Amino acid sequence: MKNSICLIAVLPRLFAIASVKCMVVCLLVAIASGHGRLTAQEASLQGIGSQGIGSQGITSQIDRRIALGYSKASIVPAEICTDEQFVRRLYLDIAGRIPTLAERASFIEDRSATKRLDWIDRLLVGEDYVQNFADTFDTLLMGRASRGKMGERQNHWRPYLEDVFRSNRPWDQVAREILLARPEGARQAGAVWFLYERNDNAQAIAEAVAPAFFGIRIDCAQCHDHMIATEIHQQHYWGLVAFFNRSKNAKTNAGPRLSESAIGGFSEFANIYGSSYPNLLTFYESKTIDETRPEKDAKQEDSQELYLPATNPEDPRIPKFSRREKFVEEILNGHPRFAKAFVNRIWAMLMGRGIVHPYDQMDSVHAPSDSELLDGLAEEFIDSGYDIRGLVRGILAARPYQLGSLRPAGAEDPSRFAWSIERPLTAEQLGRSLQIALFQSASKDHACIADLRDRMPEVLPETFVTDVGDALFLTNNPKIQQMILEASKQDGLVAKLALREDTRAAVDEMFHAILGRSAEQTELDTVLEFVQARLAKRPAIEPISVWQSAVWAVLTSAEFRFNH
Amino acid sequence: MVRRQDCGSPEHQAHRRLFLQGSMAAGVASVASFNGLFSIPTLAQETKKQGKKCILLWLCGAPSQFETWDPKPGTITGGPFGSIATSLPGIRISSLMPRCATIMDKLAVIRSMSTEPSEHFQGIDVLTRGEAPRPPFTRPILGSVVAEQLGQLDSPVPQFVLLDPCPEGNEFKSFKAGNWAGWLGAEYGPVRSGGEYAIPDLLRPESLAQVDHEDREALRNFLSRKYQNEQRSQAAAGYNAAFDRVRGLMSCAPLFDLDTLPAADRERYGPGAFAQHALQARHLIENGSTFVMVANGMPWDNHVFQHEMHQMLVPEMDNVLFQLVTDLEQRGMLEDTLVIAMGEFGRTPWLNEARGRDHYSKAWSMAMAGGGIRGGVVVGNTDPMGFEVTENAIDNRRLFATIFKTLGIDGNEQYDLPDLPTFHRVEGNVQPIEELLIG
Repeated sequence: MKNSICLIAVLPRLFAIASVKCMVVCLLVAIASGHGRLTAQEASLQGIGSQGIGSQGITSQIDRRIALGYSKASIVPAEICTDEQFVRRLYLDIAGRIPTLAERASFIEDRSATKRLDWIDRLLVGEDYVQNFADTFDTLLMGRASRGKMGERQNHWRPYLEDVFRSNRPWDQVAREILLARPEGARQAGAVWFLYERNDNAQAIAEAVAPAFFGIRIDCAQCHDHMIATEIHQQHYWGLVAFFNRSKNAKTNAGPRLSESAIGGFSEFANIYGSSYPNLLTFYESKTIDETRPEKDAKQEDSQELYLPATNPEDPRIPKFSRREKFVEEILNGHPRFAKAFVNRIWAMLMGRGIVHPYDQMDSVHAPSDSELLDGLAEEFIDSGYDIRGLVRGILAARPYQLGSLRPAGAEDPSRFAWSIERPLTAEQLGRSLQIALFQSASKDHACIADLRDRMPEVLPETFVTDVGDALFLTNNPKIQQMILEASKQDGLVAKLALREDTRAAVDEMFHAILGRSAEQTELDTVLEFVQARLAKRPAIEPISVWQSAVWAVLTSAEFRFNH
Repeated sequence: MVRRQDCGSPEHQAHRRLFLQGSMAAGVASVASFNGLFSIPTLAQETKKQGKKCILLWLCGAPSQFETWDPKPGTITGGPFGSIATSLPGIRISSLMPRCATIMDKLAVIRSMSTEPSEHFQGIDVLTRGEAPRPPFTRPILGSVVAEQLGQLDSPVPQFVLLDPCPEGNEFKSFKAGNWAGWLGAEYGPVRSGGEYAIPDLLRPESLAQVDHEDREALRNFLSRKYQNEQRSQAAAGYNAAFDRVRGLMSCAPLFDLDTLPAADRERYGPGAFAQHALQARHLIENGSTFVMVANGMPWDNHVFQHEMHQMLVPEMDNVLFQLVTDLEQRGMLEDTLVIAMGEFGRTPWLNEARGRDHYSKAWSMAMAGGGIRGGVVVGNTDPMGFEVTENAIDNRRLFATIFKTLGIDGNEQYDLPDLPTFHRVEGNVQPIEELLIG
């Protein structure tokens, strides 16, 4: 909280100084502080501050710091986005899919002064939020996997992740459950899977722990101190490995567990210059844990006396000196990167890029675009008791999240967050949104989703590139074609459009169902001509096949592919 | 009323008119067949534009120099195979290579390769990119550089193709999953095909008529470009650019169909994916590709029973290289087409307990032909047991300097890209191997 107090004192002075320099800034201050004429969207945004519980501090910090960034860079940010843009964006980010026609209409018609916040709150307690965040965190923490592995995760890891988001478990508790991996009760059982799936490979564990919980990549430091981010040392790599190198997968009657030995795991690592060092229990920006190292080549004797029995007799015995426990208690607990890494990742998910970009390389090479903002948000997050939902709500309620997506003239730097950054839908978001557009309902297990995961595995890519294979997939893959054929039956979108007497109304309905907006005049005219020219052809083309083509064209347009 | 679409240029108008009339499809229907593609004069001209090309026979796993280009028969570790005379007086190669022995005057062999890494992943990195990595920067692979420098991005035929039927292959598998085009950007990455792992989704869905397929793409393009222009969106531009390549790539589907090649050719190259893909590489180069890399997993890593394994692998490679060089020459293409046959290092002079040869990067061999490389030259030498290079050691940098030089690409050029430290195409200002260059 220290930061925010300090900020409030400084802020008016900064604005005052800047506004003398530049008229633009006066305007900014007016917008930032809510003066001037209010549009309906502005009014809705105003109401947010008074209602957000536990996330107000986050929202107000963001609004202050980001506005300060605009004035420093003399940028006029984009306008607040329309309700149509907002509802699509919010549903994609929180529910992991576009809204149905009914949901969208209900949002648009909502006359409440605080409707944006009301809907944020509504979506954050919904099951779609749970599924969407479980999808994203599965990929961020575990990586994409073969279908076989995904099946195993369904039984262990997935229910745990879902429970984390459904019950809004504090993030520090989640990290502890995952890394200590000594589940107490069924609800924690799946937490072991983070370590268990890495199959006794302590290096793979270390390389996953660093980005997942500390927002840094240490892979490069395996053979030498990091050449570019020079503060990441080889001893950090091998130290982190050592915390996990006594752990072994154990199949117990209670399910998969992680046993830990009380001895062993001592080695030396050599750098590329030929010198070698002991793998002490240490980590980046942490202390070194004391541990008696045996003499070189001395043989350690394992004995029952070095262990305590587990509370649950099915679970593996626990070493009295447990490296995993030391890591959780003395390294993870209170680590200066821990909260920042999480805040930055959630920010990246919702804002299109991190305050540090890329979000998982928070090292000296990748400076935060606003370190005070990052520090302040991390502090708020800690003060909130690591409240995940509160953090998400705080960001969504802030002004930068709700800006239009058109980059304003004069604004070049995306790290100022002066417009809503376009980002590709993940495979899961795309698969569900295709279903919503075509059928107005979505299943998380639809066959298209596994195919899309294989084809478009990336989540939060540093830079986004469309592979020609993606375009081939959307153009020719039989499953995509099959979905459109299915939508030509009964209540599917294609079937409904083909039955419409009024072609113009049908075109507009198609835009509403797929893109969540009315067709503009040029679009309406063009699609109408496309459809009518084909319907008038002799021999006649079946209306259903004409609408299949039109629906495919809108579904595969860039506007559908991105969240904006 | 004047309607505006896109930027309003006449091109868009014409485009729009065509698709609205449904004649887009009619106009390009002939593209559906491969021959049709080249009956369109503009395309035919483009693809036949002169320029150098390259085929890399990537012998992944690392073949033994002793059983190929640098035999040491009669020595204690020379192995059971003898050596044979070649069309080059005084030069002998392994008796497992009778066919290449007849065209040694067309080949250039380096017997003095001497490189650093002796583990696969690092070796593959250095011998396909030309330089050891410097994270986080990823140097583009040879094929990407050649495609970028010599390729025609507007050609429907993919410029950089990787033919590899084997999705497995230890370190090569993980290497393949990495970033090939590096800082040049994904558009210079390879189109991957080969064996049963042909390019997915290359064929139009059966339930869709050709005319619908073309027309709906035209409508998609109109809507998607409108979004791209109005949003000034780079991401959408890239997305639309990928769709632009779809039709071209689909029109090339027959190029990737081995069954379209004459049975006599297929027999000459011999059975097996590596041989068939070498033939396909010739076919792709003939039809407009710029760089084709032929691999087959990682079969050369013979730590066990190396003689038995090489007895199978080397004669196949011998025939493939012979057929390829002979074919290219007969077609008048050898001058402009560089063929490279190499792995990531060589094998130890000594045998291990499993009668295998282990990794050895200090002294090994590779071969090239065509594309401006002088035939009938053997560069360097090794000692009688093959432990050390005794003359003219060549590292990855000098090899790459030579490859770039002969292809007409400036090896000293600096990459000038945003956020990139100073990198050169070949680092260290090294000189190409002059005796190998004709020009």
